[in-house]
Amino acid sequence: MNLWRDIKGTLQPFWITLGYLFKKPVTIQYPEEKRTPPPRYRARIVLTRNPDGTERCVACQLCSAACPVDCISMQAAEDDDGRRYASWFRINFARCIFCGLCAEACPTMAIQTTPDYEICNRDVLKLVQEKEDLLIDGCGKDTEYNYYEHSGIGVANERGGNEDEYGPVDPKALVP
Amino acid sequence: MFQFLRLEYKGLPYRWTQHDKRIVFYVFLRVSVPPWRIDLKMPKLTIDNLEVTVPDGTNVLEAARELDIVIPHFCYHEALGSVGSCRLCAMMFVDGPVKGLQMACMVQAQDGMVVSSTDPDAMELREHVIEWAMTNHPHDCPVCDEGGECQLQEMTVAGGHGVRRYRGKKCTFTNQDLGPFVQQEMNRCITCYRCVRTYRDYCGGTDYGVFGSRNRIQYGRFQDGALESPFSGNIIDACPTGVLTSKPFRFKTRLWDLQEGPSICPHCSLGCATIPGGRYREIQRVKAGINRETNGFFICDRGRFGYDHANHPERPRQARLDGQPVTVDAALLAAREQVAAIASKHGPDSVAFLGSPRSSFEASVLLHDWAKATGSLQLVYEAHQGRDRAARTLAARLGKQVRSQEELRQSDLVILFGADPLAEGPMLALAIRQAVRNGGKVVVIDPRPVALPCVAKHLPLPPERLSEVLMALGKNDLNAFEADERSLLESLVEQLKVAQRPVLIGGADLLGGQGVQALCSAAEQLSSEQRSVGVITMLAGPNSYGGALLSGHGPDFDSVLDAVQEGTVRALVCLESDPFREARDPARAQAALGHLELLVSFDSTANLAAQRADIFLPTRANAEMAGSYVNNEGRLQAFLPVIDPGVPIRETGAGNHPPREFFQTTPGSAPEADWLLLAGLLDRKLNLVELRESIERDHPQFAGLSSITAETTGVRLTARGDLPPAEEQELPHAATAEALTLMAITGQVGSRWLAHLSSPLAATEPQPYVLLHPELAAELNLATDERARLTTHFGHCHVIIRTDEKMLKGLVMVPQLWDTALEGMVPGGLLDCRLEKEVQR
Repeated sequence: MNLWRDIKGTLQPFWITLGYLFKKPVTIQYPEEKRTPPPRYRARIVLTRNPDGTERCVACQLCSAACPVDCISMQAAEDDDGRRYASWFRINFARCIFCGLCAEACPTMAIQTTPDYEICNRDVLKLVQEKEDLLIDGCGKDTEYNYYEHSGIGVANERGGNEDEYGPVDPKALVP
Repeated sequence: MFQFLRLEYKGLPYRWTQHDKRIVFYVFLRVSVPPWRIDLKMPKLTIDNLEVTVPDGTNVLEAARELDIVIPHFCYHEALGSVGSCRLCAMMFVDGPVKGLQMACMVQAQDGMVVSSTDPDAMELREHVIEWAMTNHPHDCPVCDEGGECQLQEMTVAGGHGVRRYRGKKCTFTNQDLGPFVQQEMNRCITCYRCVRTYRDYCGGTDYGVFGSRNRIQYGRFQDGALESPFSGNIIDACPTGVLTSKPFRFKTRLWDLQEGPSICPHCSLGCATIPGGRYREIQRVKAGINRETNGFFICDRGRFGYDHANHPERPRQARLDGQPVTVDAALLAAREQVAAIASKHGPDSVAFLGSPRSSFEASVLLHDWAKATGSLQLVYEAHQGRDRAARTLAARLGKQVRSQEELRQSDLVILFGADPLAEGPMLALAIRQAVRNGGKVVVIDPRPVALPCVAKHLPLPPERLSEVLMALGKNDLNAFEADERSLLESLVEQLKVAQRPVLIGGADLLGGQGVQALCSAAEQLSSEQRSVGVITMLAGPNSYGGALLSGHGPDFDSVLDAVQEGTVRALVCLESDPFREARDPARAQAALGHLELLVSFDSTANLAAQRADIFLPTRANAEMAGSYVNNEGRLQAFLPVIDPGVPIRETGAGNHPPREFFQTTPGSAPEADWLLLAGLLDRKLNLVELRESIERDHPQFAGLSSITAETTGVRLTARGDLPPAEEQELPHAATAEALTLMAITGQVGSRWLAHLSSPLAATEPQPYVLLHPELAAELNLATDERARLTTHFGHCHVIIRTDEKMLKGLVMVPQLWDTALEGMVPGGLLDCRLEKEVQR
């Protein structure tokens, strides 16, 4: 019965191919036609803002420490109210491998990956993006978190004014 | 045979019972160490199944560290000792003389101990203790400067505390403003007491302490204000978490981004170990390095915050030839050719070479070689005549009397003759304090109100009488002194007789060559076979001693200035020195140096020599190069580079992001190590290893140079220098009637060139002031903090009156303050002056 098997083996692939002629094609005609990646897709990196509109990034350097290709650099500075922020923040997308470790390391939810994957450019300097290019007007994936509300050193609220804190103690009081 | 056992009891011979004899024999057996068991002194114990033998007196925590077993701990610090308050270093003592769960830092290692650091009970206790310590700790590691080098982070992980269980409210505290150096964030405190033990106990500060009880403990000053101790920065290193962090370094860099390396402090002659850290082409901080022979574990604030001269915006970074920017090679070639041309035209002695106490030892040797190749004998290593002579006399005389800072810490009698450690070498004051804490006594004989962080007796004597005291002490003849002076000196003589480890300390500013000579002679005369009297002298810079070793019988700079004035010296090569402002008489130096045909300057700062040089070559700052210094006890110590020079990104980016363009080279990267420039000039294309080997070959007295490495305690050179040529006897200062006698001194802040260029320190520099005895101020009708007009032969300037009861009555003292009206007040010698109340208009 080997002959029957051979005939089947020869014709069946043609039949399958023929069947696809009448199905909807899976190929997308990029760039005319664009695909929507899933929300957690790791592409362009952005800096998000707190719900109150202030910058989330505190320039703690954890993203640049986590970055395996060293494409993030920044300088921290202090604002008048004691808030730590990035005086400049630079991501070199020519180097970035979109691994998402920076977003994973970020303790303030500031740095987030977005599904915007169209970053390619012939001019390398355009891939070196500064803070003003990276900062977006929005909270990104977490719409509630404000780091300084929880930090416990009195920047967003008065010292000892957060929910989980007592007011500042008076060390000179005589009460036992 | 047993005569010694005959005792008397109530006048009758005591009869030893059999029982008594048995007890004596038993005690004898227990206390005596038979010679074959002498090694009992080195207890052998077992920690985590590993055997270790440690010196007697070591605690178990240290013994475990010998085995690379790190037991979590906060309150223990090698220099501060153990207090057993943090309860974190718990270990289970399974077998041996001590048993049960004990704090490892509080138990001395004993023979036969079996200790476990992994015992479940010990681990559980440690986990709970760290959990308690973390109860009130805020959730702010991302914005804390300690992050990355936080002992609390490390110990939390090591202690096994991962998830917070406490859901209650946390305590909070109010922060204090502790001045320009230290930033406080009290909420992070875990009450380990290390800052107070460092600040009060070790450094002798009095204005910082602890308040409150239980969970209200607050560390700080009674009121807001700058910390007064000149060692305040050490609490930054001591704090295991982010309560006390450096203000100038605030939010600059994380530890993991910082380029660090072992270095030697360039600010005074003591040669303390430091660890500078740099990033983005600027030096951003300095931490104390560890050298048990010199600084121990701490450094002074001048060393800690004096790094910024390397980042100074006006630092010259470009080689210049007749005012035009050229390449380093072109400038080197021009320097060599023009110096050779003048030497061949006017004779070799028409070129003078001026080294510096702050250039590396290798460069100093190469300058010596250049002078030798030129044939010139005009080689000086210090523009200030008195300091130069002091260094050269010390290098010639210091033999067995040499003492290190560690030996000073063990001293039982310290006598300061014309030495003001807080101005001339602050860490020496800290070493003196440790001597006092170990039971030593301190006597100060000085016209200045020498402030020390410890109790000291003070005898104010005019500067010219210091040598007299030294000679009198050496000969033990005090008849020349008045009664009140004699009483203190007589008690001093008595103390000197019984002291086992006395040390005499001098300062180059006040003693000069003759004073150092007298100091060394006195020490020799006072030494006996049983004990030797030590000598420590504070010199001008980190390599003063190295320069003095190379000076030979050369002239001092004042005679070079005479030769320039006469026209016999026509060219001057300055290696990292500024003869215009560092000479003892700057006005005379500026007048004389105007006659020069050629001025060559190698420097890393924008001093006058660098600005006026015909040929200028930029050198690297101390933290940017490898090299070595010889400190004031002849200790040769190596240092390594931390960063490469370049205009800081803070500057190129003007505070914003770095420029968005590509450069072939780093801007401002032309400066090279001073020794590399000189080696290139002398056609010795060598690296540092080869250079050190060739120096050893050419100068056998510097044996050991090629074997030194950074991060070691260094090598004490046995080479001796030569005494400087005899000094012209200066007439004692004859005070004219009505005029006051003015003495220029080195101030604690503002008198050192490199420190002055450092912005964190410059912010603490005082307004020009004069220092008076309150009685003299009252005679002149002047009050403290009042403005007055000081007139000298330099002209007049406005000063603020300060008074101090400890100083000599008849003198008016002014600190040399760079870039103020008091810039020309170079210490050494006395002047006439007038002081009047400022008339309000």
